[in-house]
Amino acid sequence: MSESALLKITINGKATTARPGQTVLEAAEAAGIKIPALCHHPHLKPEGCCRVCLVEIEKQRSLMPACTFPVFDGMVVQTESPKVVESRKNSLQLIFSERQHYCMFCAASGDAEHTDCELQRLGYQHGIDVWAYPTNYARQWGVDATRRFFVMDHARCILCRRCVRACEQVAANHTLGVQQRGPRTMICADDGVPFGESSCVSCGTCLQVCPTGALIERSSAYMGTSADTRRTAATCMGCAVACGIHAITRDNHLLKVEGDWEAGNGGLLCSKGRFEVVQPKPRRIVKPMVREGGRLVETGWDTALSYLGARLKEYPHVAGLASPRLTNESLAAFACFFQEVLESSEVGLLYGQVPPLDLGEFGTLADVARADCIIIIGGDPLEDQKVVGYLVKRGFDNDAKLIVVNDESTPLEPYARSTFDLEDISHHVQSPFERLRTTYHLRVSGISQLKHAAEEARRPVVLYGAGLSTTVYAALRALPDKVKFLPLIKGTNAAGAARLGLEAQNHCGEAMFLMLGDDMPEDVPMPKAQFTVVAAAYESPWTAAADVVLPAQTWAEQRGHLVNMEGRNIPISPLLEAPKTVLPDYEVLMRLSVRMGHAMSYQEIADISMAL
Amino acid sequence: MAKVTVASDWLAGCAGCHMSLLDMDERLVAILEHASLHATPITDLKHPPEEGVTVGILEGCVNNSAGEEVARRMRARCKVLVALGDCAVFGGVPTMRNAACRQAALKRAYLETESTAEGRIPSDPELAVMQDARPLNQVVDVDVYLPGCPPSADAIFHVLAELAAGRKPVLTGKLLDWH
Repeated sequence: MSESALLKITINGKATTARPGQTVLEAAEAAGIKIPALCHHPHLKPEGCCRVCLVEIEKQRSLMPACTFPVFDGMVVQTESPKVVESRKNSLQLIFSERQHYCMFCAASGDAEHTDCELQRLGYQHGIDVWAYPTNYARQWGVDATRRFFVMDHARCILCRRCVRACEQVAANHTLGVQQRGPRTMICADDGVPFGESSCVSCGTCLQVCPTGALIERSSAYMGTSADTRRTAATCMGCAVACGIHAITRDNHLLKVEGDWEAGNGGLLCSKGRFEVVQPKPRRIVKPMVREGGRLVETGWDTALSYLGARLKEYPHVAGLASPRLTNESLAAFACFFQEVLESSEVGLLYGQVPPLDLGEFGTLADVARADCIIIIGGDPLEDQKVVGYLVKRGFDNDAKLIVVNDESTPLEPYARSTFDLEDISHHVQSPFERLRTTYHLRVSGISQLKHAAEEARRPVVLYGAGLSTTVYAALRALPDKVKFLPLIKGTNAAGAARLGLEAQNHCGEAMFLMLGDDMPEDVPMPKAQFTVVAAAYESPWTAAADVVLPAQTWAEQRGHLVNMEGRNIPISPLLEAPKTVLPDYEVLMRLSVRMGHAMSYQEIADISMAL
Repeated sequence: MAKVTVASDWLAGCAGCHMSLLDMDERLVAILEHASLHATPITDLKHPPEEGVTVGILEGCVNNSAGEEVARRMRARCKVLVALGDCAVFGGVPTMRNAACRQAALKRAYLETESTAEGRIPSDPELAVMQDARPLNQVVDVDVYLPGCPPSADAIFHVLAELAAGRKPVLTGKLLDWH
């Protein structure tokens, strides 16, 4: 922006500039002046309801909320004048006295430096040592614990409506709202039903933006404030979206997961990525186990690998299936083990779907978020790539034109401007039938409508699934160049596996090597064989039926890379330390290959990463 | 210079704040050079002297008629009243009882606790009458608030030292802590 277009403003006597359209709060922040606020959140539209950010603006008749007031040229603002500070303290006192804000019972409470509660922090900062108004302790505010993963304690709610705005503006789910008025105002779901029975999808975005302890997660509540925990930026391995996350850990335990606001998912996560990862898991496998006399018996690595090596040599046909949740490095070592050591090509994935990746320019999650035309073909992102589904719904809210092409009805269909069957776009315009259809039924073919929509749009995005006919893919290739393509891949690292030539197959051999990592596939039947090896982190029906069980690392313990649906090669670093007796997959396969007399050409993780 | 006279008492609390007071360790000696301790629940003399003291300290919230009496007596007999700890300042843990009705609270405490056999709700007319649990300032005027559960020994020392020096204490930074 040119210098002349900037507005000259003065904040607390300091001359600075601001862009037109900026709020006083944003302009102050840019100038390094922090204006305390509670209902304001940098990733939500301003609401101006907590009145904590009131400031003095010259020529205005009263104090004005900095979070909603736009700057104007020549504006003179005072953010710390006695009048402003007095008013701010009074706003805080009113909030403190409204409900039950006695900190000691609260999960978010901490000392001045480490509190997780923004209200408490402001209370400390403003030297509040007592509530100025009578408290409302006796009133029953109610706790709604009907949701599986998190709880709403209305007594801690300050009605900042951040949760309502997050549900609407970030998750595009529109579940939360406000009912009643004045002192009877309450946050509610849908038309006042318990949260657990509402249209809530448990994405937990409201939980992430709540400034107080009104929304608390069952698994992490009272487990420690920021003083006790460590926050690490990482990648979710729940599905092929591979959302950016912040993992909150303490003493080698994963307590909580938050969406990374700066990543493509923009703070959003699904219930799988945010909540299911911190749920209690089945018993961990920490030592290799070998079946002896019908029973699995724990043993050391040496014994287990010697035994396994000898047994694998007995079978001429050994097949291997791996979970797509594994890293490139684990998958590469697995593929290499089969090719070099077992000289078998019977190796693939347990499940996963990767559509053709050469339709055009790859899109990103950010492209979906800002698209003005979204075409979804043969897939259901709301089911398999949930965060992408939420971004599509947000696109709908922002007036993006949504076109759904699918033979089955999908949950996104009600949002679509137009819908087609796959058949509608699989006919070439040149086909005689199509010409007949166009001529006599005056019907424009689906593909020309898609083309037209894509041409009209400025930022069109196509989300497409796997298993469609070649003519459909050919039709998609014919779309204009500006279209960005995002494959709806199933299986977290199925794209990385595809680069290694591994795809979902129904291999079966006399002996099976199943590499699960921490995956526990529910919809996949366990392949049957005379002899089965399962490498897994947790006990499951699969390990119970195996002849040899090898311990494996979980997603949070491994180091490596994965390829997500955007085609990005994302580095994965360990968040937690694996038990000492648990080794990385490639290390296990390496040791096994040495015992079988064919040392693999990979020496270290660096070699594998380099070879990829 | 005459020593500042101090008395303390407790209401519905857990005595933890007085334990924190003792946590001042050797600094207690320094305080006692400027102040004389007249009556506290942890010394032999239990009631504040009738002739009055300069500083009165109360721990705990008011949740029955006896507590109210103790609070009013202390207020009448001191010049500066300090509310010591979260219960005195905000109401604290005892206020959780307010959310249930009084009869339900009595029933739970005297009849339904797992260790109780053939319990009964005390009804002697000489016993104190139960009230809603309230912070101290809803019963008497309070001059100095010292929140914390319990307030740290540092915070208590700061408040007593400031009062001994004739100043009104202000809590900032680490000394102001509500949890």
